[in-house]
Parts: sequence; C-alpha cells; structure tokens
Amino acid sequence: MPLLSHIKSLLGLVLLATLLVGCDAGVPEPNLAPAKAKAAQCVEPTADMRKNHMVYLDVHRDKTVIEGIRTNKHSLNECINCHVVPTREDGSAVHYTDEKKDHFCASCHTYVGVKLDCFQCHADRPQIVENINYQHKLSSNTYHLSAQSVQPDMNDLLWLSQSQTQGATQ
Amino acid sequence: MSQINAYRRKFMATLGGVAVGGLASSVILRTVQAGDVPAKPADQPVSNQVRWGMLIDVNRLTDGGASMVEACKREHGWGNDPKARPEQQAQWMRTVKVTDKLTKYSFTLPVMCQHCEEPPCVDVCPTGASMKRADGIVQVNKHICIGCRYCMMACPYKARSFVHESLTDQRPHSPRGIGTVESCNLCVHRVDQGQLPACVEAAPNAVIFGDLNDPNSRISQAMKALGGSQIRADLSLNTGVRYLGL
Amino acid sequence: MSSKTMVYSELHASKVYYFILGICLALVVLGAFSFFHLEHEGHYVTGMNNQVVWGLPHVFAIFLIVAASGALNIASIGTVFRKGLYQPMGGLSALLAIALLLGGLAILVLDLGHADRLIIAMTYYNFKSIFAWNIILYNGFLALCILYIWTMQDRKMKVLYPYAGFFAFSWRLILTLGTGSIFGFLVSRAYYNSAMIAPLFIALSFALGLAVFIILLFFVYRLDKRELGDLVLNRLRYLLAIFVAAAMFLELARHLTALYIAQRHGVEQFILLEGGIYTLLFWIGQVLVGGLIPLSLIFCRALKNNHWSLLLASALVIVGGFAQLYVIIVGGQVYPLELFPNAEVQSSFFDGEIHAYAPSVWEWMLGLGGIGLALTIYFFGMVALRFLPRSLADTEVEAS
Ligand code: HEC
Ligand code: HEC
Ligand code: HEC
Repeated sequence: MPLLSHIKSLLGLVLLATLLVGCDAGVPEPNLAPAKAKAAQCVEPTADMRKNHMVYLDVHRDKTVIEGIRTNKHSLNECINCHVVPTREDGSAVHYTDEKKDHFCASCHTYVGVKLDCFQCHADRPQIVENINYQHKLSSNTYHLSAQSVQPDMNDLLWLSQSQTQGATQ
Repeated sequence: MSQINAYRRKFMATLGGVAVGGLASSVILRTVQAGDVPAKPADQPVSNQVRWGMLIDVNRLTDGGASMVEACKREHGWGNDPKARPEQQAQWMRTVKVTDKLTKYSFTLPVMCQHCEEPPCVDVCPTGASMKRADGIVQVNKHICIGCRYCMMACPYKARSFVHESLTDQRPHSPRGIGTVESCNLCVHRVDQGQLPACVEAAPNAVIFGDLNDPNSRISQAMKALGGSQIRADLSLNTGVRYLGL
Repeated sequence: MSSKTMVYSELHASKVYYFILGICLALVVLGAFSFFHLEHEGHYVTGMNNQVVWGLPHVFAIFLIVAASGALNIASIGTVFRKGLYQPMGGLSALLAIALLLGGLAILVLDLGHADRLIIAMTYYNFKSIFAWNIILYNGFLALCILYIWTMQDRKMKVLYPYAGFFAFSWRLILTLGTGSIFGFLVSRAYYNSAMIAPLFIALSFALGLAVFIILLFFVYRLDKRELGDLVLNRLRYLLAIFVAAAMFLELARHLTALYIAQRHGVEQFILLEGGIYTLLFWIGQVLVGGLIPLSLIFCRALKNNHWSLLLASALVIVGGFAQLYVIIVGGQVYPLELFPNAEVQSSFFDGEIHAYAPSVWEWMLGLGGIGLALTIYFFGMVALRFLPRSLADTEVEAS
C-alpha cells in the first residue's frame, strides 16, 4: 500500500509538473473562496505554502503531539478553520471525501493524486458549536477556533467539605 | 476489598475528617494564587519538572464516576460508532462496580488510563507510537500508530480501545480515526492550555488534578495526608491516577 | 553438501502441479479480498474486539512463523550437526522456512489497523519492544535463509555454507524465543506471563515445522514420481516424536508451575476445566489429537514403515498445534483481566466477564490467504530452482 501510494504520488507529481509546464490553464484552482473571505493571505507566502505545506504540517504535528507545543500558526485545525466552511449554501456538510471535491484540501489533492489520511482522524470542517452545555464554555459562538483558558472552578476546591459518601448512598 | 482495606477505609475517612479543616484552608489559599494547572506558554514544550496526576476520592463520587465518563465522552466524542458491536466500541473511561467476594462490600469507581510511570504499553509498542510525554501523560501518537494492538494486550487496566470503523465529524481538538488505538490522554489539549481535564471538571468535589512532582500542589498535599492507592499496585507501575477509598 | 552422487533438479511442472498452484493462488486471492474489505470497512466486520484484540489471523500468522523456524530444522541438523542424511533436504527446508515466514508475516501485516503504514513500522523502531525486535529478527531470518540457499546452490559460495548454516540455526532459535516472548512479557495477562512460554514456542516450532515439512516432502515426491525411502521417513518420524513429546512436556510444566501461583488459578481453571470450547480444544485438540494420537501412531509397532500413518500423525500434529496456539492466543485473552484480586467486577466495558470471540469469515479468508501464499512460494520455488534431490531412496541416501 505505501508503495502504491508513493507511485501514485509520483505519478501525481509528474502529472502536475507536466501540466504546470505545459498548459497552466488546465490546472483547476483550489477552492480558496472560504479563506479569502476571512483573510488576505495564508500563514506563509502563498507560493511557499503551495510547495511546502506538508513540511509545516509534519513538523508541527510532532511538536504538538510529542512536545505539547500548541501554537496556532501551522496548526491543522487552523488551516481547516480558515480554509473550509462547515456547510455549503444548500446546508449540506462539506467533507474531504465528498464527490464534489470542493473541500479545500480535496480540491487540490484529488487533482494531484496524493491521498491524505489526515481526515480519517482530524475534523475536516470547523466544528459548529452545538451548544455544548457542559462545564467549559467556548467564547466563540461560531467556530471552535481555539479553546479558551478557563480558570479552574472554585467548586473543585471544596472536594473535602462534602459529607456524603458513596458507601452510604449505595 | 480485603477486610484490612475495608478497615483502612474507615480509618481514612476519620482521618480525612480531621484533616479537612487544616488542609482545605491552606489548599484554597494556594490555589487562588496559582491554580492546579498553570497555563504553559503555547510555544513552550512540556517539561519533565511536572508530572500530572489525579486523585479520585471514590467515596465522594455520588454517581460512581458516571458524570466523569459522560464528560469524557462529550469532550472527545467517543461512544458514537454505530457499526461496531458493543464489544468493539471504544471506551476511554468506564465505571467499574467492585464487589468484594467475601464481605460483599461494593463500590463503584471510574477506570481509565492510569498514566503509569513505567507504562507497559509504551515498552511494547513497536513504532514508539505509544508514548509518555515529558510531563508523564501517556498517550498514543496516532500519526505513527500502525494498529497492531500490542499495547492493548499489554495494558493491565484495559484502558485502550481500537477504532473499528471510519468516523466523521470528530471533535477538532481530539482527532480519532479508524485502525488506530486510543485512550485517555488526560485531555492534553486542555492541560497544555491551563485547563483541567474534562472529567475532573465534571466531578469537582471528588477529584483533584495537579502536579505530583510539586510537593506544595494541592494533589501532593492531599495524597500526603490521605494516601492514594493504585489499582494493581502489585505490578509496580507507579500510576499517576490514584484513588482514595479502594 | 557432502554427497557427490546426490543430483538435484527442479520440480517438473505437470498439469497437477498447475492445478495445485491454482488452488494456492485462489487462496491468496481470497486473502487479498479479505484484506481490502478490512482496510475499507474497518475491523468491525471481524470477530475481534476491544477485549479479544488478537484473533484468528494471529493464530494463523504465529502458526506459520513458528512453523517457519521449525522447518529450517532439517537444514540445521544437516549442516550444524553434520548429519549426512539430512543434508540433501537442506535446500528444501530453507525454502519452506522462507515460504512459511512470508505467509505468516503477510497475515500479520495485512491485519494491522493501518497496513498502509508499513513504511512506518520499518522506519520507526522502539528498541524496548519485543515486537520491534521481531521485525528485525524476521527480516534477518529471511536474509539468512536466502544466503543459505545461495551457498547451497552456487559452487562459488560454498565456502560460506557451514557459516550460513550455523548463523541461520542460531538466528532461528532467537527468532522463536522472540516470538514466544511477544506473549511471555505481558505482565498483565495471567495466562501468558511465564518464562515457560518462550521454550514452549521453540519446542512447538520444531514439531510444527517438521510436520509441515514431512507432509509437503511426501506429496511433492509423489507428485513428481520420485523415490522417497523408508530410511529418510523413519528418521523424520522419530524426530517428530521427540519434538511432539518435548512440546507436550513443556506445556505440562507450564501448567504445573501455574498451579502453584494463586494468581493464575483462575485462568488455569478456566482453560483446563470450565472454558467450554477452549477446554475442549485444549484436551481434545491439543493433548489428544496433537499429542497422544500422533505419538501412538508413531510408536505403534504394527504401523512401522507405514507412510500413511506418518502422514496422519503429521497432519494431527498440525491440527493439534493450531488448537494449542488458538487456546494460548485467544483463550488467554478471553479470560478477563484481574483489576481487583478477590473481588467481582462489573462494567460497561465487560470487565470481569468471560469475553466472547467468534472468528468471522474474513478472518478465515485472511488466514487461509497466508497459507496459500506460503504454499505458492514453496511450489513456485521448487520449479524455479533445483531444490529437490532426484531421489531419496534408501540406496541413494546410504551412499551419501
Ligand atoms: C487565516 C486564514 C488562513 C489560514 C489559517 C491558513 N490559510 Fe492557507 N491560504 C489563505 C488564503 C487567504 C490563501 C490565498 C492566498 C493567495 O491567494 O495568495 C491561502 C492559500 C493557501 C494555499 C495555496 C493555494 C493555491 O494554490 O493558491 C495552500 C496550499 C494553503 N493555503 C494551505 C494552508 C495550510 C496547509 C494551512 C495550515 C497550516 C493554511 N493554509 C492556513 C488563508 C489561510
Ligand atoms: C490516526 C489518527 C490521525 C491521523 C490519520 C492524523 N492525525 Fe494528526 N493528530 C492526531 C492526534 C490524536 C493529534 C493530537 C491532538 C492533540 O494532542 O490535541 C494530532 C495532531 C496533529 C497536529 C497538531 C495539532 C493541530 O491541530 O495542529 C497536526 C499538525 C497534525 N496532527 C497533522 C496531521 C496531518 C498533516 C495528517 C495527515 C498526513 C494527520 N495529522 C493524520 C491524529 C491523527
Ligand atoms: C495547491 C494544491 C494543494 C492544496 C490546496 C493542498 N495540497 Fe497538500 N499537497 C499538494 C501536493 C502537490 C503534494 C505532494 C507533494 C509531494 O509529495 O512532495 C501535497 C502533499 C501533502 C501532504 C504530504 C502527503 C504525503 O503523502 O507525503 C500532506 C500531509 C498535505 N499535502 C496536506 C494538505 C492539507 C491538510 C491540505 C488542506 C489544508 C492540503 N494539503 C492542500 C498540493 C496541495
């Protein structure tokens, strides 16, 4: 399988290269509309991003998972928050695997033929806060952009003062 | 558990009662200043100066930990795998009812990853995906998990689950996906930002979360005064999740 | 190879040969189909779950891997212990070892949750993990077997032949120790955590590898109408008896020691007495079919020189060994983990319950696919290179 996907990605690259060299017009534009509605530019210069986004993502993911570094700049969640809208105009959800291929990452990756497994795990669209009415509150009421620090509740300091015990209630 | 333990429980309860006055006030004083989870600058790596741990007072959990499990479910979005059979569904945390065979004394406690200092799951993982962070949090680096499930064989607490089907619309802060192993990660994404794990917030009166390495932390002081037993202490894993009232 | 008279030749690719190869390939296709299904749907289609995390595919895989190491025995006895009788079969035995190992590894890899990340398994190593060591051991074993075959086939390489043989022999023992240790080091599981597991796997590997070797040797010689004399077969027969007896002895020792450890009483009682299908598999499958009956078949005077009784004994050893691995791997997981000694536990995650496991058709397909792959490689190898002594008739063997 890895061999297969490598061959595929190689083929994709060759295809991309020939097309880039050959006729620029043939290259479909990635779906940039959602991002452009929110910002003027990407987190790195566009040309650099086009070429090196996987490097940024790979470096950042190890930093996050292994070292616990949680900056937003190269965070995959932030790419999605900026680049993808949760639903289309008709109200249907936008997913990476959709046939339409209008998901930002899919719009390009389908074309270059590099398969991504990221969205097996990672949310492929911003989370609409479905009024999670439990302990921690999110400040943003549209997208779950980045979690806010919540001070530990005073309640949790009173743990010893309550008298009922489980043994008694059961 | 054994009779001795049952006796110890009573003793502890008494001791706890005595200790409350002194302990609680000093604890509150300290926490108002610092908090159990001091916020770490986002661009700083976690440090091995801290070791996160949790102390759960089983007797104070009025629901045996069910609300903690619910909170975990909501935070991480598990419990939503329609195709899997019940024995295949992921459970990061569950409540276990324990009944002593002899005395019939019974209690319920939440069980999840115990965040061992010497985690067997980390030792056995062929790729190093099963890992312990510098701050003692044991988790799966799912980017290099190949789904061999050896860690699940090795875990004495049955804390890990394997994702048996494709998932969609996961929580953005808790990616989970087909063919990899997962477990409680003490809500790393929250702890790194100075928040308490979701389950701790759900049971504020029964659980303390904090730094086991800091002798002045609320959790260290509580453990010093009241103890904190481990499940399967015989394995010498030195768990980060401790219980009162086992 | 000491004999000057021994002549080797390729297997003649007859119609029957192609028929057999076709069946093997069909099995491979089944396995591949199952793999794509698992990869696409996820493991929910299998009988495996969060309690029994390793199931039938692992039984198949470990069976093949263990047998692979044992199959090399013939070559080792010939080279390392300089027993002339075994030397002509050395190449065949190395080929079988490679074939079985590849079949087993294929199952193991294709059952992974992320088989597409094989490259990660090859590039990220956690050297504390027995599993990672096993990956290295398996690859080394393949390389050594190939080298070994090379030294047998190529006159220029002949100087290396004894060294290759010796290395392959030692490597193979370590490999089986490693495979056994996959289970032996699991401190949390009462049924596995035992120093006896690794030696048991070695004895088991000898028995299984030899049984597979005997059956295939016999049928290949039949297929190609070559002569296979009593001398060779009787040697193999008694060798098999020794290995089967050794495996049974170690299993007995393992259970006896467990009975002295209070912590293991529960699981021992489960496997030996109350475990339903697992108890049945243990006593009928492993002890009777895989041990006592083959031993009687081998030592029964009336059946001396009877090829079919040897074949039957080998087949039963294989069935029994399979049952044994099933009991060890699945039975050991079906029994619940003990969180609190002397207490009953109950939860939504099946704590304290005997877990259920019923393999699905996909797991069978994957396992059979691995066997198909092993046989395909074996049969293909014999046509491609000169592995088969033209005759193993008594006169030929004595002359060499
Ligand atoms: C604040 C919003 C924002 C964030 C966050 C963001 N981008 Fe962008 N991105 C943009 C905009 C706007 C453009 C278009 C820039 C232009 O037209 O020059 C763009 C362009 C791109 C392009 C080039 C597309 C093309 O071919 O023109 C890629 C690739 C890309 N982004 C990937 C990423 C990745 C990967 C991340 C996460 C690490 C990310 N972006 C984060 C706003 C964002
Ligand atoms: C098997 C599941 C899985 C897959 C597949 C996966 N990730 Fe992740 N990823 C995770 C988990 C779990 C985290 C840790 C989240 C945390 O600690 O908050 C993570 C974190 C990250 C982070 C840091 C957090 C963030 O939002 O920036 C990045 C970057 C990242 N992954 C990139 C990727 C990329 C790129 C791919 C595809 C090549 C990928 N991941 C595939 C599970 C996965
Ligand atoms: C402008 C087109 C384009 C867009 C938009 C784009 N990619 Fe890519 N991406 C590529 C190309 C081309 C490659 C292959 C480069 C290579 O293999 O060297 C690639 C490779 C990758 C890789 C490495 C894959 C591998 O198997 O090595 C990752 C991870 C990745 N992209 C993630 C993303 C994510 C996440 C997004 C959406 C936020 C995205 N990409 C959007 C063009 C794009």
